[in-house]
Amino acid sequence: MIEHIELEKCTGCGVCDVVCPADVIHMEPAPIADPVLGLRSDFKLPVIKFREHCITCFSCEIFCPEQIVDVHPSVKNRPRPW
Amino acid sequence: MSTFQGVLVETDVLVIGGGAGGLVAALSAKRHGSHGTRVTLVDSGMIGRCGHTAFSNAWTIVVLPSDDLDGTLREIVAGNDGVADQELVRATLADSYERLRDFESMGMKFERDARGHYIRRPTRGLDLARVLYPEGGGLEFSWLLRRALEGAGVQLMDRIFITGLLREQGRVVGAVGIHGRTGEFHVCKARTTIVATNAIGFRAGFVRDIAGTGTLLAYEAGATLRNSEFSYVRPGTPRFYFEGITFAIQEGAKFINANGDAFMAKYEPEWGDEADVPRIARAMAVEKRTGNAPLYLDMSAIPEEMRDYFLRSKVRWMDNFFHKLGGEAKTDMFGKTPYYAMNQMTKMAIRTGADCRSDVPGLLAAGLAQAGCANHFAGFHIGLCIGNGWIAGRSAIEDLDRLPARALNAGLIQSQHDDALRPLNANAQAESDAILRDLQEIMFAYDIGILKQADRIERALIQVNALAKRMESLAAPHVHELVRLKETESMLNAAHLMLGGSLFRTESRLSHFREDFPARDDENWAVWVDATKVAGQPEFVKTPIPTPLCPIAAVQGRRPSRLRAGAAAGA
Repeated sequence: MIEHIELEKCTGCGVCDVVCPADVIHMEPAPIADPVLGLRSDFKLPVIKFREHCITCFSCEIFCPEQIVDVHPSVKNRPRPW
Repeated sequence: MSTFQGVLVETDVLVIGGGAGGLVAALSAKRHGSHGTRVTLVDSGMIGRCGHTAFSNAWTIVVLPSDDLDGTLREIVAGNDGVADQELVRATLADSYERLRDFESMGMKFERDARGHYIRRPTRGLDLARVLYPEGGGLEFSWLLRRALEGAGVQLMDRIFITGLLREQGRVVGAVGIHGRTGEFHVCKARTTIVATNAIGFRAGFVRDIAGTGTLLAYEAGATLRNSEFSYVRPGTPRFYFEGITFAIQEGAKFINANGDAFMAKYEPEWGDEADVPRIARAMAVEKRTGNAPLYLDMSAIPEEMRDYFLRSKVRWMDNFFHKLGGEAKTDMFGKTPYYAMNQMTKMAIRTGADCRSDVPGLLAAGLAQAGCANHFAGFHIGLCIGNGWIAGRSAIEDLDRLPARALNAGLIQSQHDDALRPLNANAQAESDAILRDLQEIMFAYDIGILKQADRIERALIQVNALAKRMESLAAPHVHELVRLKETESMLNAAHLMLGGSLFRTESRLSHFREDFPARDDENWAVWVDATKVAGQPEFVKTPIPTPLCPIAAVQGRRPSRLRAGAAAGA
């Protein structure tokens, strides 16, 4: 499952969101360092929104141009019926 | 007066689903259409980066001009226990070399040896058929096709989740859906619509975003579904996902039980561990019933020099996967790994002729949403998707002359809009996952999903109906859950049809094993089981399987000419 995105190195390109087949990662407006009432940032950062639905496909990690996404290979949310 | 806002897309051919079947169908429609023909491809994810094809090895069975086409056809029909559309399979095989050349012209590279000959592998359960594999696996395969479609002028729409087919006066005239992130309503008005949304899964295997909802939408729109009693019950491990078991077995991997016995030879004396997937699943279920579980895949016999091949896969996600697992992967993979079989996908799909036209004018099917075969073999999943995608695209174009565009019916769009967004309620809890887990528990049980018996199927039907009842009261707090909820709803409907079909076929064939009817019965059951919605309920009927090219009774293959050694060698 997806573990972590190093946001401090993120350029906000949004590839991780676009390639995610499970709608896990959403780009959302970044907080503004010097808030001014009525302004929101045009800059967006990825948020791991629905981690429990990650299918461990590694797409976000593979296609991240900054190589800052970490997916762990464990697939703990797979069913074990037997 | 309408109470909604949305986006209207007008097109000639609408293709739903961006896996191999949909990608090839869109390409085919564009190639066969006259200048200016509009072709639109929609997918709930990003086309070229999502779907089962993208995460597969994209192995595909190709019949080269020097190969035995009719022999390959015969063994695929026999390997389906007769449950195959012979003309469609033959057309697919006959066309496979031309499609290969076409893919190569797009920049795809298929593995070749030092002399420049294609490297061709045999596949489990088939003797003559040979598989080719593209470099970069399914991600590269899907991406190059996406680029080819962009170049050809196909309109690509990512992240549109289709929620209904538009049916008017007995004809399908497009589809409606929502944007998977914003929920924005979309109407796709089309003269012909090709459903290519894969087989139906229960989020079991690796590609758990596959739900196969299009098949059920087609059923709701009046299409007949076929092969609901058959499933692709794939053995797998909870520890890691692994594409390449077929090759691993050829290199010496074996299935063993808790006592350390390699049990497959007992069940499949001809094929042993190289038997096809449904037969391995059945053997595993019997071993489990006998008390010989847990079962394992033992890869310790794979020679040291071959191991790196499996760890350093050409499929990029697997490469990352094993790299990160590190030592654990080596111990797990080349020791004993617990294995069991789960229903990865039902083979239920839309009934069409060999031309991929459904019974409803304007509606066609491609990929695994088309019921061409009940068993696919490694390499023939995508092989058939390529074949029927090409045919569906051509048929959709031929139909354009007969199917002029119709004016949109505002009342119909309004009701489809309301259905699409119906259970959205900001105050609701996201609860469909709990229902999904209960459904998995029912459908993945070895004595429901693999070893079937009337009383157990009937009990499971009652349980599934109770889940459907629970589902009715659920709502979704956001679009993400709305899509999940609709997929789960579709899976419940699919489970209902699967169990119904399983009850109906009172014999054993292929992946359908009835303990109360253990023998194959060609006299009464050389038929397809077809389901149509009548007064809200599925009506199951038998349809004789035509045998224009080879008999249905053929016993499955002789002992394969190769076992283990030299499996990688050329044709």
